[in-house]
Amino acid sequence: MKSAPFEHHEPETVDEAVSLLESLDDPTILAGGQSLVPMLRFRLANPDVVVDINGIDSLDYLSEEDGHLRVGALARHADVADSDVIDDRYGSFADAAPLVADPQIRNRGTVVGSVAQADPKGDWGSVLLAHEGEVIARGPDGDRAIPADEFFLLPYDTTLGEDELITEVRVPVPGSNEGSAYHKLKRKTGDYAMAGVGVRLTFDDDGTIESAGIGMTAVDITNARATDAEEHLEGERPSPDLFAAAGELAAEQSNPESDEHGGADYKARMVDVLTQRALGDAAERAGTVTVKRRVTQ
Amino acid sequence: MTDEREITLTVNGTEHTVEVEPRRLLVHAIREDLDLTGTHIGCDTGNCGACTVLKDGEPVKSCLMFAAQADGAEILTVEGMEDLPEADGIHPLQEGFREEHGLQCGYCTPGMLMSGKALLDEDPDPDEETIRDAISGNLCRCTGYQNIVRSIEYAADELADRAAADGGAVAADAGTDGGTAQTPSPEDGHEPPAVGGDADTFCGREDCCGGPSGADPFDRDALLDDADDATDAADRAAEAADDATDRGDSV
Repeated sequence: MKSAPFEHHEPETVDEAVSLLESLDDPTILAGGQSLVPMLRFRLANPDVVVDINGIDSLDYLSEEDGHLRVGALARHADVADSDVIDDRYGSFADAAPLVADPQIRNRGTVVGSVAQADPKGDWGSVLLAHEGEVIARGPDGDRAIPADEFFLLPYDTTLGEDELITEVRVPVPGSNEGSAYHKLKRKTGDYAMAGVGVRLTFDDDGTIESAGIGMTAVDITNARATDAEEHLEGERPSPDLFAAAGELAAEQSNPESDEHGGADYKARMVDVLTQRALGDAAERAGTVTVKRRVTQ
Repeated sequence: MTDEREITLTVNGTEHTVEVEPRRLLVHAIREDLDLTGTHIGCDTGNCGACTVLKDGEPVKSCLMFAAQADGAEILTVEGMEDLPEADGIHPLQEGFREEHGLQCGYCTPGMLMSGKALLDEDPDPDEETIRDAISGNLCRCTGYQNIVRSIEYAADELADRAAADGGAVAADAGTDGGTAQTPSPEDGHEPPAVGGDADTFCGREDCCGGPSGADPFDRDALLDDADDATDAADRAAEAADDATDRGDSV
């Protein structure tokens, strides 16, 4: 099926893109297109104007700079999976990238596009929430940093302005006492998550959890933080009991819906399991004593 | 507002200029404007991978991008496989799918071949898990995938054997690592394509079992020529291996 006709703009700079967004009537931004193109074809989206940002070379980057890992709007999922920048310190990114869809889609789809799409089943939103990352939006008045937990509103709806373009998402560079992980349950390779959990743990020098971030995928109307579990972890030393309690709190705070892939109770239980597994990996990657998991495969 | 625009696509080494609407998908430009119908449309949703082509060497689903987005790009489709440097009549991957029964209805095959090609360009000696991951964006509803995995393994072995036989020349052209190539030996059980076997078992239908068809990538005459060449190549490889053994080289 074909898209409805649309006007196609291909700006080559961010400024050009932003002025197009400002002047055009209800434009839609096209980045990797792996969600948008089918939406256009099924006419779930019917924009008169598409602003294709693939020609803005300055947005094609993935780098560590000014204390942040910066993921430019044209960095593809495959770029994250293959990047030398994504080393052991970025466990959650390294875990999530190869779990997004399939190789072809990872070659085209972008991290920023996935965040902007705000599908509650998207993986990157949870990683961003776990790392307390930010969304950087350029509008007519310049750049604006939107904290990840103020970005997602509803499925496919965010606090991004209509005349704003996300130029990058970023997370603080992890310190030596930090570890992170992303675990995802799906029916088969390439599927969206039935449930997913991203976790970041930062430790004091004495091995106490200084701060914790947990983002959940596909178990609420948006990617959502498990704040009760985060608070329960902070100030404690890692142990199987502690992680089990955090898993339960995350499950309680999740709000999954029953569907053809599983009931709500089952998905909440999976949040519990995935949270414990991700916490175990994050603690191990932070270099603390390995915490034996209570939940095994 | 839907003015057509002129784009340039280099498909299988040939440059084409086509006029497209912005909404025209790459797969439609390939199939309808360029009449290269080897690239299939399966699900129309981006799930099945039948429309997979290589864009600048990377596998992409051509139903998930607009033709205008491929302006200036190098595209490889299944029709171009026989002209690749590593092909000898047909491509080793195509040969693998024939030898290992990697297809039944054949609908997914062009996409599978493209994903297989991208994989072997990156990793000339993939293990089974790597192969399965590489084809995870391609759905097959006939084979159960086992024979597709074997077909790609066959092609990897074939490329390694040829690289050894040609002293690494083919491997270098194909972007593979000649240094890891294995020298064929009677012990490894590798046989060159069975010439008489396929000719004898050809079922008589067009487009089946390597039967005759102008557009068929598994063209029978080409296969027979290829098999002859492969036999010669295998003979040369065996001689090279013997020579190496005589010199006491550690290969």
